[in-house]
Amino acid sequence: MQQRALISTGTLFALPALAGLLIFVAAPFLLAIGLAFTNLRLGSPLPLEFVGLKNFVRLFDDPAFTRALLNNFTFTVVMVPLQTLLALVLALLLNQPLRGQAVFRALFFMPVIFPLSLVAVVWILIFAPGPSGTLNGFLQYISFGYWQPQDFLHDPWLALPAIMLTSIWQGVGFQMVILLAGLQGIPQQLYEAASIDGAGRWQTFWNVTLPQLRNTLIFVMLMTTILAFRLFEQVQIMTHGGPRHATTTVMYEAVQAAFTRQQIARGAAITVIFFLLVLVVTAFQRHVARQEHA
Amino acid sequence: MIYLYTKLRSLISYIVLFSLAGLFISPMLLMLIGSVKPEARVLSEAGSLLAFVPGDWNLQNYRDVFARVDFARYLFNSLLITSLIVLLGLLVNSMAAYAFARLQWRGRRLLFALVLAILILPLEAIAVPLFYQVSMWGWRDTYIVQILPFIANAFSIFLFYTFFLSLPRELEDAARIDGAGTSRIFFTIIIPNSKPAFATVAILTFLTQWGVFLWPLMVTSSESVRPLPLAISTFYTLPPLQWGDIFAFSVMMVLPVLLVFWFFQRWFIRGVASTGIKG
Amino acid sequence: MKVFRLFLVICFLGLVACDRSAQESTASEVTQLEVWAHAGQASERRVIEQQVNAFNRQHEDVRVKLTFIPERSYNAQVQAAAIAGDLPDLLEFDVPYLYNYAWQGHIRPLEQLLPQQLQADLLPSIIEQGRYQDHLYGVGTFDSGLALYARRSLLQAVEARIPTHPDLALTVDEFEQILSKLSAIDEDGAVLDLKLNYPDEWFTYAFSPLLQSAGADLIDRSGYQRSHGMINHVEAVRAMNHVQQWLTNGRVDPNVDDAAFVSGRVAMSWAGHWEYQRYVDAFGADLLLLPLPDFGQGSRTGQGSWVWGIASRSQHAEHAATLIAFLLQPEQILTMTRANGAVPATNSAIERSKLYQQEGPLHLFVQQLREGYSIPRPATPAYPVISASFRQAFADIRDGMPVRQALDRAAASIDDDIRDNRGYPAMR
Repeated sequence: MQQRALISTGTLFALPALAGLLIFVAAPFLLAIGLAFTNLRLGSPLPLEFVGLKNFVRLFDDPAFTRALLNNFTFTVVMVPLQTLLALVLALLLNQPLRGQAVFRALFFMPVIFPLSLVAVVWILIFAPGPSGTLNGFLQYISFGYWQPQDFLHDPWLALPAIMLTSIWQGVGFQMVILLAGLQGIPQQLYEAASIDGAGRWQTFWNVTLPQLRNTLIFVMLMTTILAFRLFEQVQIMTHGGPRHATTTVMYEAVQAAFTRQQIARGAAITVIFFLLVLVVTAFQRHVARQEHA
Repeated sequence: MIYLYTKLRSLISYIVLFSLAGLFISPMLLMLIGSVKPEARVLSEAGSLLAFVPGDWNLQNYRDVFARVDFARYLFNSLLITSLIVLLGLLVNSMAAYAFARLQWRGRRLLFALVLAILILPLEAIAVPLFYQVSMWGWRDTYIVQILPFIANAFSIFLFYTFFLSLPRELEDAARIDGAGTSRIFFTIIIPNSKPAFATVAILTFLTQWGVFLWPLMVTSSESVRPLPLAISTFYTLPPLQWGDIFAFSVMMVLPVLLVFWFFQRWFIRGVASTGIKG
Repeated sequence: MKVFRLFLVICFLGLVACDRSAQESTASEVTQLEVWAHAGQASERRVIEQQVNAFNRQHEDVRVKLTFIPERSYNAQVQAAAIAGDLPDLLEFDVPYLYNYAWQGHIRPLEQLLPQQLQADLLPSIIEQGRYQDHLYGVGTFDSGLALYARRSLLQAVEARIPTHPDLALTVDEFEQILSKLSAIDEDGAVLDLKLNYPDEWFTYAFSPLLQSAGADLIDRSGYQRSHGMINHVEAVRAMNHVQQWLTNGRVDPNVDDAAFVSGRVAMSWAGHWEYQRYVDAFGADLLLLPLPDFGQGSRTGQGSWVWGIASRSQHAEHAATLIAFLLQPEQILTMTRANGAVPATNSAIERSKLYQQEGPLHLFVQQLREGYSIPRPATPAYPVISASFRQAFADIRDGMPVRQALDRAAASIDDDIRDNRGYPAMR
């Protein structure tokens, strides 16, 4: 009797959230899988047809899409270590007994609360071409005029790094706070024990701090990976995927297909690929993390 | 000697911190100062140190914003939508997380795996089919369409879940012996003991929802239900582009969040330290 | 528990608000006419509101309910409303979408609904762009003009020929000589503004006329079945090569601040009628308006703007048509065009417009629209894809991709889309 009641309570408790996820996330995703094999176009009066793998074949034939995949990988491979490292450095700096620690912490976190659509607009001005751009002006100033002004957002080599810089600025504060919390959660006795053993600063860092921070770091890297794959707004506002697809991303291509070109089926196919991709990458990361642990 | 060493170390730390802080703060300053500058000078001075000098400052850009969009209406919509998502989300997600973390029921493991899989699906990925779905239901251009789909959130469930796992079981056991039912335990024992987790999830949800752009752009058409981030598009699509106005608008849009965050900062940091976020 | 109670109160408030937004008043005797208009500049919105009020006062049996829809998501809104079956009776839309909506069956033909006399008074460009499969689906109260603004003093300084009629437009070689002479005396060498800061549709609107001027086009207009051989025609490649050279040789100002011309950084600006007021305020009598350069087959320019159409499902088509006719009265057109600076859509309104009448400073725009220099966008539901493909090609060309390759890709993606949709067969 007692047991039965407990079962229904559990289901009841989980029901509202599960229903929400089912109706508003799982169902549309299943719909997307279905649509990916059709010819659906936004509002088309033509009959819906099954077209097999055509949308997928076309995608892998399209240089813009393959470039988007490559860009997402590049972005992830650069951003995950870079952003995690920078966040760790900031967290370590702020984990010391310093005056104004709270102010610095708030300051580094502040960009996180800026909506991406605003962030991107400000950075357009920072990356503006010619000496009137803030970054160009700054680089010229610190190089005593040797810097040649660049058109960052239209240079095939600089555009993606420019977006990376924007994303780091916007996102690193969040990772920093998480790592800081992780650092503060390390029991003080471990440090005391290490210092009794005569361990130096580096030794303490490698043998106490890092192992203790391991789970936090894994979490941070997982989050950064997922966010890196979702890259969209900065691209949409700052570069429109250009120059020559140098900054296009999988998500940007999906939105372009569905809304600009009204090719819903193509957008759905991209969604499916995206999901599989992130699933594989995160599963791989978790697998590696578990291996190391063992 | 050791004293000197420590001094030097903290000096270096300060130098690094200050220069990083300078780099971090300058885009924000650019925005703030640009918002009180005459339009013509925003761009012409962006490349020099003058960008950070207000010059003959005035509030014209702010007046322009109020003249160009119904700021109060957008603000109200944003506040309404965001706070409903946050509050309803806190309730249903924490309940689901509790069910996953503590209660025994059929399908628990399987459904939790599903929640974890959903974690990686961004809105952009399902926006198109979801758009189709809600359009067919006739939900276009309402508050509901901006609220209901975002209440249940896999990430929030995950955060609550890890937090609840870390709560000592004794709390509940004592209450159960006193004859309290699950609901009572949850509302009188679990929630009061999980303030940091609630604060963290609330802030994270608030931050995400405050900036949503794509979805309301797709599903709303009238000013009466549109949130703040859409108002900014008024400034880019209608030439001439007014950087000063954009900045003034941005400052006003960020300010409420800044205040809320400043106020809850301590809780938030504690929450991060105690929810699953830190692993 | 206090928090929980607060929470319930807020939920309640939220539901009330939701409910209120869903409610619609339904008075029985008067016809409620739902109208969507685009949320343009504040001045345009004010005019529309005034016009609707005036109309409501004149017609006691109709109540117009006006909703402004932001431009950025207009099409998504129309599509969503169509799926949900709640399109308004009368809606304004950007003319390139007309063919799509007509093909999808969302809007209905107008020629039987609007007075003949009124249709005869419309500019030929308005009629031409509003037609799909031999029916008129949409009419605008104004049209747009695209040309080259320039500073007279600077052109005189380099002894440039100043054409006064589209027939006498500068040839592309003359134009390039002027560019290089101007650039020699310019501080940073960038002397031309192509409005590179504008979003999306601008690039198709402003630069596809070049293809036609060179003897090519976005798509073969006989049947609208093939882009290959048109958009990537040799002449199209040649024309876009010129543009690429301007861009890569630093002749074009990036115009991030949208002030390249008014601040005096450039001598010429490739822009629309909407810039006239700002430009004339800056330069007064020194401001010149020239036809776009001739790439071989005569100067060509863009046209088209927002138009009105009536939903197929509307129960009140007659009333909606009355409102369109009201908006097309000369004084209503003029009130609107005074607010947005656009070209009035009827001959009778043009005659009364100081800016556009014969001898008016913007009469060139009228000449272009009347005498066949302006090219409507292709009348096919494939237009969104055509435009997206051309824009992508333009962006690639700007970034240095070989022109031929960029245009070949555009052709392939357009033709794929047409094939996927079985050539967009007539659905009626």
